[in-house]
Amino acid sequence: METITGSIASREITGKPGTTRTGFFKSRYLDSPLMVDIEYIRHLTDSHRKTDGMETLERRGTDHAYALGQMTPVIHRQDTLAGNKTRYIRGAMPYANYAAGPFLSEMRREEQDAQSKHAEQGIGGGIEKALAEAGQGGLRLISGKFLISSDDYDQFRDICEYWEDRSFMEQGNRIWKNHFQKADFIENGWKTGLYTAPHEPCPEGRLILDYEMALTKGYNAIIRETEEKINTFHPEDIASSARLHFWKAAITVLKGAEAFALNYAAEAERMAALETDPYRRIELEEMAAVCRRVPMEPPRNFKEAVQSFWFTYLLGHIEGSHLGYSPGRLDMVLYPFYAADPDMTPALAISLFEELFVKMTQIEYIASLSWQGLGHGNLYQNLILGGIDEKGNPISNDVSLAILQAQINMQMTQPTLSVWWDDKLDQEFLMKAVECVKTGVGYPAFFNQSTYIQHELKTSGLPVEMIRKHCAIGGCTEPTLQGRSYGIVQAGFINHGKIIDLVVNQGVDPSTGIRMFEPRTLSTYSEIRKYYLDIMHETVRNWQQYWNFVMIAHRNTVPLVFCSVFVNDCLIKGQCMDDGGALLNQTITTLSSGMVNVANSLAVIKKLCFDEPVCKVEELFDAVRKNWEGHEGLRKQALAVPHWGNDEAYADDIFLDLYNDYCDWVQGQNNYLGKPYDPSMLAISTPVPFGKVCGAFPDGRMLGEPLADGVTSPFPGTDMNGPTAVIRSSAKVDHTRIRGGLLNLKFHPSALKGLSGSMNLLALIKTYFEFPGFQLQFNVVDSRMLKDAQAHPENYRDLVVRVAGFSAYWVEMSKALQDQVIWRTEHCLN
Amino acid sequence: MNGTVFDIQHYAVHDGPGIRTLVFFKGCPLRCAWCCNPESQDFLPQLRYFPSRCKSSHSCLQHCPHRDISPGDSAFTHSFEHCKHCTTRVCVEKCNQGALTVSGKTMSAEEVMGIVARDIPFYRNSGGGVTFSGGEPLSQPEFLLELLQHCKTLGIHTAIETSGWAEKETLRQVLPLTGLFLYDLKIIDPDQHLAYTGKPVDRVLENLAFLASLHKNIVIRVPLVEEITDTTANLQAISDIMTLNALQEIVLEPYHSLGIEKYQEIGIHFQLADISDYPFEKAAMARDFFKMKGLNCEIA
Repeated sequence: METITGSIASREITGKPGTTRTGFFKSRYLDSPLMVDIEYIRHLTDSHRKTDGMETLERRGTDHAYALGQMTPVIHRQDTLAGNKTRYIRGAMPYANYAAGPFLSEMRREEQDAQSKHAEQGIGGGIEKALAEAGQGGLRLISGKFLISSDDYDQFRDICEYWEDRSFMEQGNRIWKNHFQKADFIENGWKTGLYTAPHEPCPEGRLILDYEMALTKGYNAIIRETEEKINTFHPEDIASSARLHFWKAAITVLKGAEAFALNYAAEAERMAALETDPYRRIELEEMAAVCRRVPMEPPRNFKEAVQSFWFTYLLGHIEGSHLGYSPGRLDMVLYPFYAADPDMTPALAISLFEELFVKMTQIEYIASLSWQGLGHGNLYQNLILGGIDEKGNPISNDVSLAILQAQINMQMTQPTLSVWWDDKLDQEFLMKAVECVKTGVGYPAFFNQSTYIQHELKTSGLPVEMIRKHCAIGGCTEPTLQGRSYGIVQAGFINHGKIIDLVVNQGVDPSTGIRMFEPRTLSTYSEIRKYYLDIMHETVRNWQQYWNFVMIAHRNTVPLVFCSVFVNDCLIKGQCMDDGGALLNQTITTLSSGMVNVANSLAVIKKLCFDEPVCKVEELFDAVRKNWEGHEGLRKQALAVPHWGNDEAYADDIFLDLYNDYCDWVQGQNNYLGKPYDPSMLAISTPVPFGKVCGAFPDGRMLGEPLADGVTSPFPGTDMNGPTAVIRSSAKVDHTRIRGGLLNLKFHPSALKGLSGSMNLLALIKTYFEFPGFQLQFNVVDSRMLKDAQAHPENYRDLVVRVAGFSAYWVEMSKALQDQVIWRTEHCLN
Repeated sequence: MNGTVFDIQHYAVHDGPGIRTLVFFKGCPLRCAWCCNPESQDFLPQLRYFPSRCKSSHSCLQHCPHRDISPGDSAFTHSFEHCKHCTTRVCVEKCNQGALTVSGKTMSAEEVMGIVARDIPFYRNSGGGVTFSGGEPLSQPEFLLELLQHCKTLGIHTAIETSGWAEKETLRQVLPLTGLFLYDLKIIDPDQHLAYTGKPVDRVLENLAFLASLHKNIVIRVPLVEEITDTTANLQAISDIMTLNALQEIVLEPYHSLGIEKYQEIGIHFQLADISDYPFEKAAMARDFFKMKGLNCEIA
């Protein structure tokens, strides 16, 4: 254990829950173990057993509606908002209908996938509680960190066996494994760590529904409009007849939603009748009345608006196995109800959001071990504030301030709070956002709205007014149009680091011995660059084609009906999202991470083997294959070559070249909805597992070390010129080319201290966005605190840090990820 | 014009307004006992040795043209005095662990400006600029003047952090080109000043009077070192001098021990080895003292 010298600088702002009630919610959350709730999937499966033969969309709608109506309404002590995804405080729903295989593999004690052995999860916090309680009182552990009762476990095995041949994943496997010519490449890509593990267990998300429509219309009006469409429908051909099925399915799910809400109303009434505390009785009666009103009818006040939002949000969340399903621009959507409610005060609004944020954090997900490790329990529910409206006017308001204050007070890991940056934004709002940053919770991240608007104008050609008004972030850092876009449903990540491994080893993966690519003579720099690009191209193309095959099965197994209702123009066109009903179908991305290490490695090869030669390529590669052992002098020379992030053209130009090539190539292939794939780069937790499967790199990185995090973040320790140089390098990239992107900066709390610290931070963000950059996020923490937290986790139960496009509770992060966050360069001690 | 610089730091936020770049000049006429940047004192680039990185491969020794480096008993030690005059620095190049580095390098004013100017957008948005620190920037007057002139051309706000030990003529020349002076007052008692900094105090005070008569933006900086600079008498004397010169702004810099390892690394003796970090409560008391005197006082 490293000794910690000097005193630990605390964060400048330390919030606390605004009310005793929300304080209770937070500690209840922190004290709860992670549970699995099979109720929904059990009912869905029961229905599915009976609906065989029904048209796919109607069947899906019927099954979801039935399960919604059967779910037990649970109102926890002191709750004022109704509706939970599971019956537990921290509960996950196991979506066997998406992928039963990984669960069955675990139950049969088989390996889930080629990468599950590399997956790491945390062991503290609620996970520690689950581990401690496993084996007691009939509880057993599932998927490494969740508790499930033995009865449920047995039932769940039956459920998984039912889905074994029917689920999305297994149906997809049948298609691509039999019909995709490069299926072997994909399988080998998983074995070698070139790709993240199969994404089918949790493919949905990066999706935002049209909450404005849900609130202002109410479900009853939508049902009436849809009935009208059915009444006037005349089939013209087979394709048009699908509309009838979608509309019927839509009405079915909306009625299922009504049952869900009314069950909560009935439960609240039941509890009110038994309640002895008169104040609580009134609250419960009020809750019942609200649930009888919304979401079927439009809300009459702010509280009803929040409840209505939450129902719609939840109902869509329950329907699919989502990551990055997001609330979007909630301040914009809710403000009219706030402004029109004479009884609403900032304090009441703050406490409502405090409760809402706990509810959002309480949603857990269970998937394959690999994807649990990659996501670290975060669902990336992105709530974005500020920005401009359709006319270009800034829209921050009292609801935006209340949301920021609620996060300052609570410091929950969800929602993932973000701000759309615009120069015209109100100063009070920006100062509040910086105050939130200073808590160290890693929220909000700042996004440059105009950069995304340019991206979407280029990609979709939609009217600029529509893009301005509806742009939001779906998930970590992926911009999309709320209520108008198909979800960003992609195959997972490509590991650029592994491609370096393949270049260094003549196309053979050094850890498994698998040959992925033909060997080449590499005697010039351009041959090496070309070799990298050719492997990258093959890797991207196969990944895209594989996913296009997989998604054939999505339409036939798990099309989203409820969510489609709230994505324009599905209802108007009578098409669900899978059939192209959304206005924007170009959101589907090809994702990668680790390009910074490629640029650094090519810079070193170029410098040391060609421009100012000190060794031959083969000598350098030999040193790399030996993890630099016996070649420390050469490694020192490699590290001395300019790396990405120093605003030095040598490495930066190489990065730009690779970046542009990647964007061009990704766009060259259509997605399964017939539009070009959109290039994107993200990180989530990939730098750790991706690095773990890679050998040493020519850039000086050692075997097994994490890759550079984020998209344009420098490799730790190689950014020698401070944060402004990092920003200048990052700004050289044309951020309008990709959907997403992030830059992590880690600051010591002293660097942001006081009013001048706040103003300087805003100036830093403004400068980056003028360049223009796309995204900035901050960790404000003394690294000594993080080391202390590793040594004494018991003192840091509620410490939250920013990881990638999300934050996480420190004690629930894996050790490897903790190390990576500590390892990042910390700016400013002067 | 060339000068010797030992560091350039970006996103500096504690040495003048806004986001700043700090240019550290190497070389200082004073030898303050508490100095936290001992590598700033000597005017020449000098060898720096990091024992924690050293793996005792002795490759430095094998390649030393003067054989001046010699392995010690436990850790690896060497003769800094001889190395100071060595210009080959073969040892640094040969050390694969990075245990040997050189502090300080000769740079032209254009080179420095090339780095400083890159951050202009940050200065513009934050009201920042460049701060020349040290060492003693006024000890390299021609180099400093050239840099200041460049800054003026580019519209970059400038600050100079000084011990006040300079030729009056130098002050006269830099004055119109400088936006802000961060001026140290350490000890007012002449004997004590001489004992702890190696130079008489009168020149510092004369220069301050001269500067204060011609320049509006001066912030006094006081290092707080227990029982050396924080005596009631000293704080009172500082306050009196500020009143006398009609100065309003004062920043207290509590002593911290972060610089101690650097003494070892460059092979010089640290005189105040047993002194601890300055307690915040006492710094707050000193701040309150100055505030009572009607001064604007902050703790850095």
